[in-house]
Amino acid sequence: MSEMERNEAQAAAVETAQPAGHIGTDVLFSAKDITKTFGGTQALKGVELEVHPGEIVGLVGENGAGKSTLLKIIIGAQPQTAGTMTLHGKPYAPKTPMDANREGVGMVFQEQSLIVTLNVAQNIFFGHEKDFKSGPVINWGRMNKEAAEVLADVDITDIPPTKKVSDLNFATRQMVEIAKVMNVTKQSGTDHCLILLDEPTSVLNEAEVENLYKQMRKIADRGHGIIFVSHHLDEILHITDRIYVYKDGTSVGSLDTKDANEAKLYEMMVGHDTTTEYYHLDRQTVPQEEVLLEAKDLGLHGVFKHVNFQLHKGEVLGLCGVVGSGAEEVCEVLCGDEKPSFGEIYIRGKQMKFSSPKQALKEGVLMIPKERLFEGIVSTLSVEDNISLSNASELAKGPFVSAQAVREQANKWIQDLRIKTNGPKELLRQLSGGNQQKVVFSRALASGAEILLLNHPTRGVDVGAKEEIYALIRNMTDEGKAVIVLGDTTDECIGLCSRLLVMKDGLVTGEFEAPADHKPSQVDVVSLMM
Amino acid sequence: MSTKTTALSGGRSSLRDNITRYFSFSAIIILVVVLTATQDNFLGQMNLRNLLRDTAPLMIMSAGMTMVLLFGSIDLSMGAVCSVSNVTYVHLLLYFQDSGMNAAVVNLLAMGISLLFGLASGLALGFIHVKLKVPSFIASLGFMSLWQSVALLITMNPESVPKVLWPAVDWYKIVFGVVGLPLIIALIIILFIHCVTRFTPSGRAIFAIGGNERTARVAGMGVDSTKILVFAINGVLAALAGIFLAANLRSSAPTIGDPFTLKIVAACALGGTSLAGGKGSELGTILGVFTVSIIENGMNFIGVNAYYQNIVFGIFVLAAIALTVDRSIRGQIVK
Repeated sequence: MSEMERNEAQAAAVETAQPAGHIGTDVLFSAKDITKTFGGTQALKGVELEVHPGEIVGLVGENGAGKSTLLKIIIGAQPQTAGTMTLHGKPYAPKTPMDANREGVGMVFQEQSLIVTLNVAQNIFFGHEKDFKSGPVINWGRMNKEAAEVLADVDITDIPPTKKVSDLNFATRQMVEIAKVMNVTKQSGTDHCLILLDEPTSVLNEAEVENLYKQMRKIADRGHGIIFVSHHLDEILHITDRIYVYKDGTSVGSLDTKDANEAKLYEMMVGHDTTTEYYHLDRQTVPQEEVLLEAKDLGLHGVFKHVNFQLHKGEVLGLCGVVGSGAEEVCEVLCGDEKPSFGEIYIRGKQMKFSSPKQALKEGVLMIPKERLFEGIVSTLSVEDNISLSNASELAKGPFVSAQAVREQANKWIQDLRIKTNGPKELLRQLSGGNQQKVVFSRALASGAEILLLNHPTRGVDVGAKEEIYALIRNMTDEGKAVIVLGDTTDECIGLCSRLLVMKDGLVTGEFEAPADHKPSQVDVVSLMM
Repeated sequence: MSTKTTALSGGRSSLRDNITRYFSFSAIIILVVVLTATQDNFLGQMNLRNLLRDTAPLMIMSAGMTMVLLFGSIDLSMGAVCSVSNVTYVHLLLYFQDSGMNAAVVNLLAMGISLLFGLASGLALGFIHVKLKVPSFIASLGFMSLWQSVALLITMNPESVPKVLWPAVDWYKIVFGVVGLPLIIALIIILFIHCVTRFTPSGRAIFAIGGNERTARVAGMGVDSTKILVFAINGVLAALAGIFLAANLRSSAPTIGDPFTLKIVAACALGGTSLAGGKGSELGTILGVFTVSIIENGMNFIGVNAYYQNIVFGIFVLAAIALTVDRSIRGQIVK
């Protein structure tokens, strides 16, 4: 969406928006001191949230600030570790999303939750088929008729209820999903429902965004409450009545939308810069002349395009961007996991066309993946076998891998990285998240790769392990390796990297030099990301 | 939360591992004790020799299947490939017998072509599974049906190895004490594969792929090439088993491999190889193979109708897998 179009859409939205005088004073929903622990890490450290009837509340924060986690707790998809929630003044503790629906809480999920092989009506009344039984069979005619009414309620009249969801485009699916959620909560019988919208606009065009705003306002005017999560601050500023800012699992504060502007929100979101020791800034190396990797006009169809950069020996290059900015996919293309649609990749000046990560590894390129459990470790294998995954052939004497070499290598890394384990033979699934991540790092370091792509290297590890991982990254550049980092937070990216590329909607929107003594401000970086 | 679950699942898995480890071993002992006590001469030289000789083809095929299961796939076409190789081998012996070539050359030529067929079938199956991303279960089911028909098209009726070529297949009857040459060859093959899977880089990759294919790929392992290679080896092993069966009977039969499909899976499962991939071993499979052989031999010894035997194997497969399957992953059933 171009800047101008977006502005027009906003202008239209402003016209439809009404003054916030209709908001009730009683509390519809409140969450107090909610904490959530995954393994050893705290995703939420005691957050607060309050929604009044007729109010649209915006929720902003960087990736990993805890927005989605909170929504999942409210909808009953995950239980909180501690803390209480109330709805209509009564304790509220849904065990499943169905529970939440029955109490009048509905959510439009970030990932589309419609079943694409079913038709629109079947999706809208999914789980409520019993209501349409005529004898033993379902009265599809009645279901279709009611589905049409539900759709009309949110001003959708051009989608026949019998249409298969797989035949609809994403924007239309999103509208169906919203209609479905509206209906679910309507059936709960309460006057004041709570609707959660998690990034609903990411697949919508301007006209659809406009309609969405209109519907949101309409819903709010009926006395329902809405929680709206978006990475687009302009949207948040236009449609919400009040804004909560989250950072690192805590609520930084809330303010009325009329008192907020983008600069203020950026500042609240990024908070204070972390101390220099944390990122071992004294050990940040100055990149050398030699270019190890170069991307020329790199692109992946529909995801990102025109990505250009050079990666030097001893350099830590940061790729910053919110989910959907294309930064992660750049990483996947570079490591050979995905073939680029356009552009060229040069390794040490030689053009490369990787068809698998195996080929990339041969040229010294290796990725530490984002989802440790699903793509980083083999939990059925031992610590030593995991460490030797990428370099087994180098540990072979003749045709056979030397068990002794595997053991010695594992012992060396267990000692060097201080991996807490009962020994190299222990199965990896018995280790804690931080120690598993250290094993993944050991594997990457043992592989001898000179170009390391670190996709969220500190995801899901505790503070102590984080700092050790930062030190490891410094070790890598000391040895002349080149590193690309996709940080868990912008702060981390700035702290670790000597240069930053900022991406938004698949394009590079900015580049910052970040020498140890002159780091760019987070607000500057974040303002180009969102 | 996490520490608690880890401890729990750790306890559960060790119990499961123990069941797996000792299941076939105890089954063998119980079966042998019961059969020896109730049947005269069960452990007689004659029966023991038969039992051990008949174990060879099953062991060869199970050795291959174990590798396939270890990386999380399955090959249901082995029995049919075995049949085609079996009829091809004997058919070629008959075809070449008047060509004037030396008997040994004729034998090697027929063997070579049969094994090449197995290689081609395995490569094709591996390619279809890996590159076209057809689930191995359905791809190999298709191959099974295909090769079953081809075997019948090559020869409807069993063909006999011509008398002049009997010396070429007599190696199968060489016996040292009660242990025949076929079993020795089979044991060498399975122990060799055991060493390959445990100690070579590509062999170890099999366990990594079975444990987490995505990790193996991102870590820079040749996932696709390893899988295709294993399917190819598997095809060759199935073809070799077909030649063994022909040498044993001195004749071919177009449906000879069919009952093996179930027995192979039974042997691997009883041996503790996880159908989900990543866990198991060729050594366990050796025990599984003997368990299956003893059950089969025991039923023959007692005189159980052949048609009832598959009922027993079916139940054994279900029981073995139900006992050993990993239920710790909620809501996910493999294949």
